[in-house]
Amino acid sequence: MKLDKLAGGVAVSTLMLVPSVAMAGDVVWWTPNWSQERAQKLADDFHKANPDINIKLQITTSNGLPQQVMTALQSGSGPDIIEVQHGWVQGYAQSDLVLPLDDTIQDKADYNKAVIAEDTYDGKLYAIPYRIECTALIYNMDDYLKAGLDPANPPQTWDDWMAASKKMTTGGVYGMAITGGGEFGNTITRALPLVWMNGGDIISADGKKAVINSPEAVAAIKFYTDFYTNKVSPDSTLQNDGVANRQLFIAGKVASYLTGQYDIAPIAQAAPNLKIGAFMTPHPAGKQTAGILNGWSFVIPKDAQNPTDAKKFLQFLNTKDNQGYFTDTFPARVSALDLPRFQDPTLKPFAGMLPYGRPTPNTPHWVQISQAMFNGIQRILSGQQDPQAAMDQANDEIQALLDSD
Amino acid sequence: MARPSPGLMFILPAILILMMLIAYPIVYTLILSAVDAHGNFTIKNYANVLKPYVTRQAFQNLIVYVGGSIVFQVILGTAAALLLNRKFWGRGVVRSITLIPWVVPGIVAATTWAWMFHTEFGIINYMLAGAHIIPGPIGWLTNPNTVMPVLVAINVWKLFPFVAIMVLAGLQAIPAELYEAAKIDGATVWDEIVQITLPQVRPVLVAVTLLLVIWGLNAITLIYAITQGGPANLSLITPIQIYQLAFVSFQFNAAAALSVLFFIVAAIIVAIYIKVIPSSAETAR
Amino acid sequence: MTTAGTSLERRPLAATGIAIAAIVLVVVCLFPFAWMALSSIKKLPELFTVPPHWLPNEPTLDNYATVFFHSNIPRYFLNSCIISGGATLFALALAVFAAYGFARFEFRGKAWLQTFVLVGQLLPTAAIIVPLFITLRWLHLINTYWGLILIYTIITLPLSVWMLTSYLRGIPVELEEAATIDGASRLGVLFRITLPLAMPGVVAVIVFCFVTCWNEFVFALVFAQDQSVKTLPIGLAEFSTEFNTDWGGVMAASMVMTLPVVILFLAFQRLFVGGLTAGATKG
Repeated sequence: MKLDKLAGGVAVSTLMLVPSVAMAGDVVWWTPNWSQERAQKLADDFHKANPDINIKLQITTSNGLPQQVMTALQSGSGPDIIEVQHGWVQGYAQSDLVLPLDDTIQDKADYNKAVIAEDTYDGKLYAIPYRIECTALIYNMDDYLKAGLDPANPPQTWDDWMAASKKMTTGGVYGMAITGGGEFGNTITRALPLVWMNGGDIISADGKKAVINSPEAVAAIKFYTDFYTNKVSPDSTLQNDGVANRQLFIAGKVASYLTGQYDIAPIAQAAPNLKIGAFMTPHPAGKQTAGILNGWSFVIPKDAQNPTDAKKFLQFLNTKDNQGYFTDTFPARVSALDLPRFQDPTLKPFAGMLPYGRPTPNTPHWVQISQAMFNGIQRILSGQQDPQAAMDQANDEIQALLDSD
Repeated sequence: MARPSPGLMFILPAILILMMLIAYPIVYTLILSAVDAHGNFTIKNYANVLKPYVTRQAFQNLIVYVGGSIVFQVILGTAAALLLNRKFWGRGVVRSITLIPWVVPGIVAATTWAWMFHTEFGIINYMLAGAHIIPGPIGWLTNPNTVMPVLVAINVWKLFPFVAIMVLAGLQAIPAELYEAAKIDGATVWDEIVQITLPQVRPVLVAVTLLLVIWGLNAITLIYAITQGGPANLSLITPIQIYQLAFVSFQFNAAAALSVLFFIVAAIIVAIYIKVIPSSAETAR
Repeated sequence: MTTAGTSLERRPLAATGIAIAAIVLVVVCLFPFAWMALSSIKKLPELFTVPPHWLPNEPTLDNYATVFFHSNIPRYFLNSCIISGGATLFALALAVFAAYGFARFEFRGKAWLQTFVLVGQLLPTAAIIVPLFITLRWLHLINTYWGLILIYTIITLPLSVWMLTSYLRGIPVELEEAATIDGASRLGVLFRITLPLAMPGVVAVIVFCFVTCWNEFVFALVFAQDQSVKTLPIGLAEFSTEFNTDWGGVMAASMVMTLPVVILFLAFQRLFVGGLTAGATKG
């Protein structure tokens, strides 16, 4: 039985042994599986307008993507275009793995400034962002109304927010779930903006000093973890990420939580009778709200086989209409927000957060720095340290990282 | 039978293939660990990975995780093998069922167990609380005292079938007349196991334990999928730390340095192990 | 065929003990698997209820329909069979010879070579994946069956050699000596006497190789970028989008990945019977 398969394998693989030489006019595009259909349509449209250029799609999955991309880039043999998260671009640019794209981007002034800053290294733009999103608050309308709260007047300040959440914590339901587990990005996305809102930061503007243990920062972290300390967030918080919170929300165990608009469709699918409301993330009294801009950008590897055609295709992908069509959440172009698809009233709070979005600091150790902050938050949640002590330790670790260059 | 050339001829193909494909990665990693981002020679990478407390913490967790897992994997696996060696109705089906934990894809097993141990959704809390064995839900994967034992238990579940199958194969080589002679002498089941069975499968047990050590030192799927090394690095083990350095933090040089250190420690452990077991060319009797 | 099992007729108490032990073993192995199997026939709203419940109120075969008709799993199943089968055969061929060499002969540097065989296994995956990628690309084997077969052979070869060496050592050397005296060649002895007697060990190594290759994810992800060579573990990952996972689909796909291997084993497990009959060693 195995010999047959082996013979078959030899036959098939002999065909495969012809190396995939990218012929002039081929552009290989690594695009994730969740936007495959849209990607295919855009590729077909481009091919109709440019018959001598062939767009080949290779579908990636979110599981293992950083490893896949890193290996391809480092070994010098990757595709022509890759979709990556904004946060990865700095690392690629520093290691000289991707091409600068200042000559490719069109209407740069039309783009959200914060995300352009995130994709810029050493004065050059190394990726073209096409998608941005911010977190806001989603709540269960029934629980909200039952607590006597008014949808037309959502909580604006932190005090109102904590009070409203406590009101919704009743009858086995938790009022407001925070994340405390899973990939650290989940918690940084939700907790770091609180630090910013309160006037603190994680590292100083010149990137040399760790400041996460300043009074403003510690107060913000304490506010975040207080949701768990006050039993407004579930017992399982330390193992919950955004997806777990969504599942708890669907199951009716949680009345509200911070997330992006990508959760709306899955909730509707799993619990069609759940009425959802949303409001912008509350801020400390007298200050402004803030958020982290997450999302995706296009990069061209340094060793791409066909950068010329790839750049042409990128320009096509990033017109106002195509960006608006392709993105899962919001487009990076401000003018594209006028498209009909983004006028849905449920999206209004999320769109409202975009102007308040800030980029993550441009420092080579960003991932390890944010991990130190996340570990500190976990220590607070597990009762090992109080907020000041946890942030002091995180501060020392971050300072050591900044000093290690 | 002690002429050198036939033995070398037999092992040559395997050695050649391994050498061709392993030599380059070893050299590559060594070089990468000794240069900085611009290609200049430096030992800073080693300093940078050895200094932080997290490196020591990850290594300690690794020893606990691998050590704890192996003890129970070998004990339970051998017990299962002894059971599956006896003739009983449905033995073939039970043997095949025993294989399941090992064959189930690691990531699915990990997420299923994480789900089952979840404080809110988990069926385990639900059943234990329903049977009044525990007063309320337990944070299995969030409590510092339970997270490592739970991870070890899951790891044991996943791999004890491997031990069982390997030992079962070894049990088949034991000639029946050894048992017959023992029965004539009036030995009990326990005597048979201790005096005959275990000594006969000793070479297999030794090899299996070695493999479990090697595997365990490199396995990240289970812990990474369930706790990602948390909470607060309580379940972080060195292979995960290396993975994070290389692919999440883009610190390839530091990751290479840690890999080299890890490799040296692992090689020492393995070398000690090999020296301790006999390597003669005769049978195991 | 008097093998290494003992009959139970004289020990009724032992029979009960064995039954209980067997039941415990089955429950331990099946408990999470039952949860997976039941999840595979649940609709999405039933998967994450609080409190959780075992049985679905509205069982469905939709997840299996998704797996068979709306996913790449069928094609990946074929690829996995070819790659895992090929790697197993290749590794087995190499391992049989190497193990025989280590088990029966003494030569200079044997201990060092045995250690060397294991050395490759000790490097963390994160460290070797890029250089291996470069090597495979130089050999033009990216996105090919042979590329993955070669990689999987390296992964399984060292442990196969070690396991098989210990099994071969368990075969009494006198049996081989008898054949050599009768004029058989080394290879003849290996194939006609030693291997048949070590069949359970050979089968165990085959199982080990196949299962390891079947579930391997990281190398497959990096070395098989084209759909024509992707394997089942990648197919599993394809059920997850950025923020959402089709858990029903994942569980159904897991069933499709697990059950064939287990059933295959059921068919072959009768080979787990020793070949050493009474009187074999008495010349």
